[in-house]
Amino acid sequence: MLEELETIRKDALAAIATVTDEPTLEEQRIAFLGKKGRLTMIAANMRSIPADQKKAVGQALNEVRQAITEAMEKTASDLTAKRDAAAFASIDPTLPSRALPQGALHPLSLILDDAVRVLRRMGFALADGPEIETEWHCFDALNTPADHPARNESDTFYFDSGKLLRTHTSSVQIRTMEAQVPPVRVIAPGSAFRRDEIDATHLSAFHQLEGLYVDRGVTLADLKGTLEHFFREMFGSSTEVRFRPHFFPFTEPSFEVDLKLHAVGRAAKWVEIAGCGIVDPAVFAEISRKRGDQAYDPTQVTGFAFGMGLDRLAMIRYGIPDLRLLIENDLRFLSQFSA
Amino acid sequence: MKVSLQWLESHLDLADFSTEQLCDLLTFSGIEVEGVESLPDHLVVAQILSSEPHPGADKLSVCQVDDGSGQARQIVCGAKNYRVGDKVPLALPGCVLTAPDGKTFEIREGKLRGVDSLGMMCSAQELGLAKESDGLLILDSEAKVGIPMAELYPTVFELEITPNRPDCLSHLGVARELTALLRRPLKGRRDYGDSQTSVRPGSPSELRLETPGCSFYTARIIRGVKVADSPAWLKQRLKSIGLRPINNIVDLTNYVLFETGQPLHAFDLAKLEGAVVIRQASEGEGFLALDGKEYTLSAQDVVIADEHKALAIGGVMGGEDSGVTEATTDILLEVAHFDPPSIRRTSRRLGLHSDSSYRFERGVDPLQVIGNSELATRLIEELSGGKADPELLTVGSPGESPTSIKLDGDLCRAVIGAPVSDSEIAEVLLALGLKNSTDGWEIPSYRRDLERPIDLIEEVARIRGLDAVPASNRAIYTPASKADLAYDFLCSLRNRLVALGFFETRSLKLISAAQLNNDLANQYRGMNPLRLKNPLNDEQDYLRSGLLPGLLATAARNQRFGQSNLRLFEAGRVFTATPKGDEIEHEHLALLLTGSRNPRSWAHDASATLDLHDLRAALDVVCGQKVNLTPLPDGKLMCACSIELGSGKKAVKLGSAGILPPARARELDLPAPVVLAELDLKKLMTACSRECVFAELPRFPGSSRDVAILAPISLAAGELKDFIETYDEPLLVSVELFDVFADPTGNKLPADKKSLAFSLLYRREDRTLEASEVEASHAKLLDSIRQKFGVEFRQ
Repeated sequence: MLEELETIRKDALAAIATVTDEPTLEEQRIAFLGKKGRLTMIAANMRSIPADQKKAVGQALNEVRQAITEAMEKTASDLTAKRDAAAFASIDPTLPSRALPQGALHPLSLILDDAVRVLRRMGFALADGPEIETEWHCFDALNTPADHPARNESDTFYFDSGKLLRTHTSSVQIRTMEAQVPPVRVIAPGSAFRRDEIDATHLSAFHQLEGLYVDRGVTLADLKGTLEHFFREMFGSSTEVRFRPHFFPFTEPSFEVDLKLHAVGRAAKWVEIAGCGIVDPAVFAEISRKRGDQAYDPTQVTGFAFGMGLDRLAMIRYGIPDLRLLIENDLRFLSQFSA
Repeated sequence: MKVSLQWLESHLDLADFSTEQLCDLLTFSGIEVEGVESLPDHLVVAQILSSEPHPGADKLSVCQVDDGSGQARQIVCGAKNYRVGDKVPLALPGCVLTAPDGKTFEIREGKLRGVDSLGMMCSAQELGLAKESDGLLILDSEAKVGIPMAELYPTVFELEITPNRPDCLSHLGVARELTALLRRPLKGRRDYGDSQTSVRPGSPSELRLETPGCSFYTARIIRGVKVADSPAWLKQRLKSIGLRPINNIVDLTNYVLFETGQPLHAFDLAKLEGAVVIRQASEGEGFLALDGKEYTLSAQDVVIADEHKALAIGGVMGGEDSGVTEATTDILLEVAHFDPPSIRRTSRRLGLHSDSSYRFERGVDPLQVIGNSELATRLIEELSGGKADPELLTVGSPGESPTSIKLDGDLCRAVIGAPVSDSEIAEVLLALGLKNSTDGWEIPSYRRDLERPIDLIEEVARIRGLDAVPASNRAIYTPASKADLAYDFLCSLRNRLVALGFFETRSLKLISAAQLNNDLANQYRGMNPLRLKNPLNDEQDYLRSGLLPGLLATAARNQRFGQSNLRLFEAGRVFTATPKGDEIEHEHLALLLTGSRNPRSWAHDASATLDLHDLRAALDVVCGQKVNLTPLPDGKLMCACSIELGSGKKAVKLGSAGILPPARARELDLPAPVVLAELDLKKLMTACSRECVFAELPRFPGSSRDVAILAPISLAAGELKDFIETYDEPLLVSVELFDVFADPTGNKLPADKKSLAFSLLYRREDRTLEASEVEASHAKLLDSIRQKFGVEFRQ
């Protein structure tokens, strides 16, 4: 009997070793371990085994069953692994990606979002105002003389109503101070318009970012610190910033801000990037007159204001040589900014 | 304004400063240096002694030149425009020239085609004196051989003077500014105070002032002048700042203008009949000016006239007929002060801008009029041999000195934000020519921009510079504004659209009438568009009242450049007016889709084109919820729909969507269907501003039933879906349309029918549903559908 068991073991293992697919493996399982399988038959005959051999035969029977079962399980798991491997064998990971449509923000939005992010970290809130403005908001309230050239119809777009397309976002300073009492700490990005023919360096509609901080005891030192920090966040912590005295009707003293920038392959160069200054007391006086209160009493509050061209900022940041690229919306241009 | 370094040096010592240092100095005092013309060292005047053909090159010649050293120098030269004997600029070895591209190169001794060449003769372009030039720069025959070229062409700065500083519009003015910056004195200044001039008010038969456009007028008669060429020094000064010398009298008036900033004019006395009258022009009065042009004057213009005719447009330009000529022997020298707004009006209206009008517009110091008249008179006497009448005739008044200003040092420190001592403040103001008195700071008459304490603080900050001020980083907490919320909302929309493959565009807000008429959805056409009063051209004369015109122009442009698969969006402001004329500004969002849905690739079928359903999917993402598209009539869009959130009476209309009519698409050369949507961002933001609230997860499974409805081809799926969704069946929790099928051949379905397959989910919150309950509810629903729409169900 023991010999027969040994024969079954050998036969089974030999048969399993030749199995290459799952149906054959199942056939072999039935042949040896199924209800009428060779090993099952022996187990069914245990009754006829003499009592003194029962223990030895039983033990051998278990050993053989275990050996066959293990071999079968091993083969089954090998077959599964082989099938799994085959399932992915035809995949070529070097094929280019299944293309998803890829979009992008306009570079002006990118630069604007960047600037707004930085300035919000510095405690500025956003402010807004109409683009169709009154002459008072755009010029008078900003201490611009009645016969200033900027008011000329050759420089500014007007409507029959006498209103105009704002020539700068500085009018939002006025809108904000009309509606809010100090402290005021706002930035106002937006469009501005000048009656310029469109060329590589001029647009009749362009984008500005305005800033205003009015509070008790705001100083030139605060203005300097604010803009230095802003430009270093925008253009790198080692960016050199310099302030040149200048003139604007609505700030006194006034400065222009230059950054020392390194365009690729060029020597570092000072680039004019913003205008700024301490809010002229005449602006506060006009606001106080309009408001009819003393919230902006020039002897009580001071403030600083700054403004910069976003189009120019984008040109510098991205090396864009011609402003017209910003309004043409050519996909070959826009797709360069899908970051 | 051009300022010559040599001229400045006649007023103060600058020899110890390099050109670069001076540029910095001016720049940081608020005078921007826009350009510098400066010749390099080792560049001298040379005379060509001989010229022979080059033995080895047709186009070259070998010249011997005199460089002033006493020995002839051999130069190989390619130019042809010279003659032997001409004087030309010669760059000696070591001379560093700048090429037009900004690179510098050093001149060395060398050989050209085998012949020694010990330097380079230069063109005006090579020296940066002209943008273009043809051949060598031929110098004046009087130029002295061997002297540095820089003596003929001294360093010239191109300065931008800010409008508040008219006092700097002269060499004396810039020199004065430099004395303050350098704390060194003006030298050798010819000061002709009032005391030296004998002044007499002109009688009405001599001088009459009849207009407020002129506050002070002086006339000096100089007799027996000999009009001739100016001396070399005067010609050279004028040439150095780009002026063409004319004759000694005219040149001197120009010289005094650029020396002092005071415009002046010389009339030929012989052309004057009777008194000099300063009056308003008569409306429509014609005038032939010095520039040879005829101008038609208005009653607002000021003219200088005699008893019969206008002689000059006051403060702007003299007349062709009354100017100084070679025949002139006696002159009347006008030095006056005109009202800035009046000059500005006249000059702008006539489009006539002169060095004189430029200065009067910005403000000339009336208290210097007499002194400057005296200066000009003396110079004219010196150079022309004329003799001035003993008295200066005047009319009007030069007015008062500026008012003194009191400055509180604490206020100054409060504005600057740095510890500036009172003595530092005083030091700066004194350097600027202010004087401290008991009334405060006395302001020099030429600094009329200084009117308030803040103006003095500005001077202190300007002269000290911001380098000396420590940066501080003061900030406060600010609550989010409405603009903040709108901006954040927009950012989130933009990012979602970009993730869906959209490109953001930014178009011009000014568009044409044709664009307004052709490309706006009906919804945005009802309002009155806003037209500019003074547009640049008729392509940009209206403010956009919607975003679609810009998007379509962008699509057309991209199509022309071979980009035909487009997913575009634009967010921005649009403008309309109410019937009353009040302007309204809205923020809109618009989408445009056209071309293939998928890019051409191994992985996709590229033939499918983007359609209304892609647009709707994008709108779902934009709105963060399913939108409803309700058909609406619109002459400008096909399949036009109103974009709505919610349904029934609560529906919020956000804008409209549709397909560009193929006829318009063909006009724009856009081949594929173009689908469009435009919506109001503020309405969208309001409709989308819901807080997310947690709902209990379902604890019991639901049971779903599918049903295929055989409907007439004309029945809108949305109608069926709406009916099912609003059907009063508490167990029904969701409806999905999962298949739409039609067969135009009529084989599988009648050709006039379509199959719409819905999956319906039934569920109870509190227990598992019995199959019989689901069946009962489902059967009731189907029955209602059948009754309502008269449709059948497919098995």
